Amino acid sequence: MSPDATNILELVDVRAGYGRAEVLHGVSLAVREGGVTALLGANGAGKTSTLRAISGMVSATGRIALDGKQILGSRPDQVARLGVAHVPQGRGTLEQLSVRENLLVGGYRRRDRRAVAVQIDEYFDLFPALGSRATAAAGNLSGGEQQMLAVCRALMSRPRLLLLDEPSLGLAPRMAEEVFNTIGRLQRETKLSMLVVEQTAALALALADTAAVMETGRIALRGSAAELADRDEVRRAYLGD
Amino acid sequence: MNAARALKVALPLGVLVVLAIVPLSATPYTNYQLSLVGTFAVAILGLNIVSGYAGQISLGQSAFMGVGAYAAAFGVAHGWPVVLSFVVAALLPAAIGALVAIPAVRLRGNALAVVTIILPIIAVPLAKRYAGVTGGSEGRSVDWAHVPSGTGLEDDQWRYYLVLVIAAVLFLLGRNILSGRIGRAFAIVRTNEAVASAMGISAHRYKVVAFTIAACYGGAAGFLYVLVVQFASPDLLNFQVAINMLAALVIGGFANLWGAVIAGLFYVYVPVVAGAVDPSRTNIFYGAVVLVVLFIVPGGVSGGIVRLVRALLARLPDRYRRFTGVDPQAGPASPVPPQPDASGPEPTPPSLRAGAGSRKEPQ
Amino acid sequence: MQHAIQQIVDGLAAGSIYGALALALVLVYRATGMINFAQGLLAVASTYIAWSVWRAGSPLIAAVVLAVAAALVLGAFTERVVIRRFEGGPPHTAVVATIALLILINGLTGSIWGYVSQPFPSLFPSGTVTVGGVVLAIPSLATTGVLIVVVVLLQLLFLRTRLGLALRAVADNADSSALSGLNVGRLLMVGWALAAALGALAGVLIAPKVYLDPTMMDTILVYALAAAVLGGLDSPLGAVVAAWIIGVTENLAGTYIPYVRDDLKIGVPLVAMFVILLTRPQGLFGRRKAARV
Repeated sequence: MSPDATNILELVDVRAGYGRAEVLHGVSLAVREGGVTALLGANGAGKTSTLRAISGMVSATGRIALDGKQILGSRPDQVARLGVAHVPQGRGTLEQLSVRENLLVGGYRRRDRRAVAVQIDEYFDLFPALGSRATAAAGNLSGGEQQMLAVCRALMSRPRLLLLDEPSLGLAPRMAEEVFNTIGRLQRETKLSMLVVEQTAALALALADTAAVMETGRIALRGSAAELADRDEVRRAYLGD
Repeated sequence: MNAARALKVALPLGVLVVLAIVPLSATPYTNYQLSLVGTFAVAILGLNIVSGYAGQISLGQSAFMGVGAYAAAFGVAHGWPVVLSFVVAALLPAAIGALVAIPAVRLRGNALAVVTIILPIIAVPLAKRYAGVTGGSEGRSVDWAHVPSGTGLEDDQWRYYLVLVIAAVLFLLGRNILSGRIGRAFAIVRTNEAVASAMGISAHRYKVVAFTIAACYGGAAGFLYVLVVQFASPDLLNFQVAINMLAALVIGGFANLWGAVIAGLFYVYVPVVAGAVDPSRTNIFYGAVVLVVLFIVPGGVSGGIVRLVRALLARLPDRYRRFTGVDPQAGPASPVPPQPDASGPEPTPPSLRAGAGSRKEPQ
Repeated sequence: MQHAIQQIVDGLAAGSIYGALALALVLVYRATGMINFAQGLLAVASTYIAWSVWRAGSPLIAAVVLAVAAALVLGAFTERVVIRRFEGGPPHTAVVATIALLILINGLTGSIWGYVSQPFPSLFPSGTVTVGGVVLAIPSLATTGVLIVVVVLLQLLFLRTRLGLALRAVADNADSSALSGLNVGRLLMVGWALAAALGALAGVLIAPKVYLDPTMMDTILVYALAAAVLGGLDSPLGAVVAAWIIGVTENLAGTYIPYVRDDLKIGVPLVAMFVILLTRPQGLFGRRKAARV
C-alpha cells in the first residue's frame, strides 16, 4: 500500500440503528481511492446496514467521510450526488420502467444528454441481453440481467465510489461468477473505488485488495484480501473449507 | 396491595359511583347530553373494534346506527315488546354488516375503506324513499321509555340510567371479547395479514367478525339513540356522522376502550363548545385536533388521548411513575437518534418510504 | 335513440369530471401510496379562489388559471407540511390524516366563504350543436374534450419528459430512485401539486352546474374514488375509462331503470364497483400483485 494513497471513504466509530434497536456498534472502515474493499460476514452481521448508513438511509452517529468530508446526515439523494452510487440488496430495479428508462434514471442528474445516450448505447453493446430488451419492463428480466442492469445504472452517474450490496444474491453460481468477472474487468479498466458486501466470500475476496469481516455490528477482522483468504477462521466460516 | 393496583380498582369504581349520582342533581338537559355521550360511546366502541383493534377503517358506522335507530323506532311505533325492539335493532345491522363484509373484506385496506362509504351514501336516499317504514325525510318520532311510576325519578334520569346500564354491559362484553382469543386474532390481522394466514388465522373470517360486532354495537347504539332522543331520521345515517365518529375516535384513542368514551364526549360536546351555530368551527376543530393528535401522540393513530396521557405520566419523576403504575412509553434517550414514527416493532428495516417501494397493493 | 345518445354524451361529460378528480387520486396514490380523501376539498378551495378572483373583476379564464396555480401551491404545501409525516407509515394512519384534512378544509372554506351556494360562471358557451341529427349540449362536449386533452398532456408528461420519468421512478421505487440522486421529497410535492391542479380543473368545470359551496365535491369525490379503485388505483388511464363508464351508466340507469330514478343514481356505480371488485380485486385495469410477508 503506497503511503500516499488516500482513502476515498472513511468510517469512524459509526453507530446506527432502526428505532431503538442499534445494529452497528462502532464500525470503522476505510476504502482506498481506486481500491476495492470487501465487507464480509454472516447474515445479520450488519453489512447491509453499513452501506445504508453510508448512503444516509438509516440514521447514524460517528463519522462517515467521503474525500475527507463528513457526509453523515445527508439525504440519500445528496450522497448520490456527491458521487456515491449504491446498488442496494435486491438490486432496486425500477420494475415498471423499461430497461432504457432505468439507465436514464441512473444518469438523471447529468447535464450532458448526448453523452448519456452514448453511454447507454455502449452498455447495450456490451450486454446484448439488455440491449435486446431496451424497451421491455425491467421487472421481466432475469436475476442476473437485473444485476447487470443495476450495476450499469449505478455507473451511469459516473460515480467515484460504488457500493455493491450482495451482487450474487439469488443468482446461480455461474451467473454470480459472470457478474463478478464483469465487475472485476470494469474495475481494472476504470479504477473505480468499490465497497462490496458479500456473503459469498470467495468471489468478493478475489475481486478485492482489502477486506473486513463483520460480526454482530462490529468489524471482527480486517486485513488485505490475500491475508484474510488465508486465515483459517475465514476459510472455515465463509469459504466452506 | 400497592398503590397502583389500588388505583386500578378504585378509579373505575369511583367513576361508576360518580356516574350514578350525577343525574340526581343535574339538569334534564345535562342528563340528556350525558345520555347521548353514552349512546355515541357505544357506537364508537363498535367502530373502535373494527377500525382500531382489527385495523379495518370503516366509514359506514353511521349507517348501522341509523338502521338500528329505525328498527327501534319502528318496533316502538308498532307496539313490539322493548326487548324485541332491542334485539332487532342490534341484530338487523349485524346481519347487514356481515352480508356486506363477507365479500368486502377480500379487498385490500384502501379499497375496503372506499367500499364502506357505500353504506351511508346509499342508506340516506333509501331511508328517504321508504317513508312508510322510516318516516321519510322528516323521520319518525316516538314517545316511549317513560319512567315507571313509583321510582321517584324523572324521564331524563330514568333514560340516563337505562343508557348507563346498557352501555356498561356492552362495554364489559366488549372488553371480554377483546381480551380473549378474538381480540388477539384481531391484533394479528391488524398488524400483518400475511403473517396471520401463516399462523392459520383466517384474516377474512376475523374481519367479518369485526365488522359484524361493530355493526351490532352500532345498531344497539341506534336503539339507545331513539331511547334518548325519541326520534330517528336520515340525518343519523349520513356520511358526515360517520366521519365525525371516526375523527372523535382518533382523538379519544384506538388502543383502549376508554378511548371510545372520550370519543363520545368529544362527539357530543365539540359541536356545543365550538358553536353549533357555525358548523365550520366544529369542523376546523375536529380536523385540526385529529391532525395534532396524529402528529404528536406516540403510536400515531392508535394512540389518542389515552396514550398521550400515559406518555405524559411516563415523564414524571420515578416515584410518581411507580405510584401510577405506568410503563414509561418513551424510554431513556437511545444511543441513536430515534426514527420518526416507529409505531411498533418492524420486521424489516423501514425504508425511506415503505409506501412506494414495498407498499401493499389494493390487490 | 337520440335521447340515449344525448344521455351518453352527458354521461361522458359527468364522467370527465369524475375522471379529472380520479386522475388526481391516482397521481397521489402512485406517488405516496395513500388515498387522499381530501382531494375533493382541495379542489373546492381552489374553485373558491377562482371565484373570489373573478368576483373581484378579473376575466374568468384568468381567474381559472390563477386558481390552478394556487392549487399547485396548495397541493405541494399539503404534501410537505401535513402528509410527509405519514408517508411510509401504516396506511390507516395516512387515511385518517387525509380524512382529518377533509374535515379541516371543509371548515376553513366554510368559515372563509360561508355555506351559501354561489353561482359560478361556465367556461363554455351554453347552447347546442346538432351532429348527425342528434342535439348535443356544447358544455358537455367541451368538458369531455378538455379531459381528453388533459389525459393526452399527462401521458406526454409522464412518458416523454425528464420530470415525468422522475415521477414514475419515484412511484415505482422511491428508495431506489433516491439512490440515483432523485430528490424524492421534491418530486412528491410535484405529484401532489399536479393532483391538486387536476382537482381544481374538475372544480371549475362542475361548479357552474351544481353551484359552488363547500360540499360541492362530496358526491363527486365518491364517484372519483369508485373510478380510481375500479381503474386499479395505479392506472391513470384506467381511472379515466372507469370514470366515463360510471358517468354513462349512472345516467342511463337513472333514466331507463325505473327503480333507480334520480336519488339512487349514485348507488349504481358504487354497487357496480363493489361487484366488480369481488371478481377482480385489482380493479378493471390494475395489476395483480402478490402480498409480501
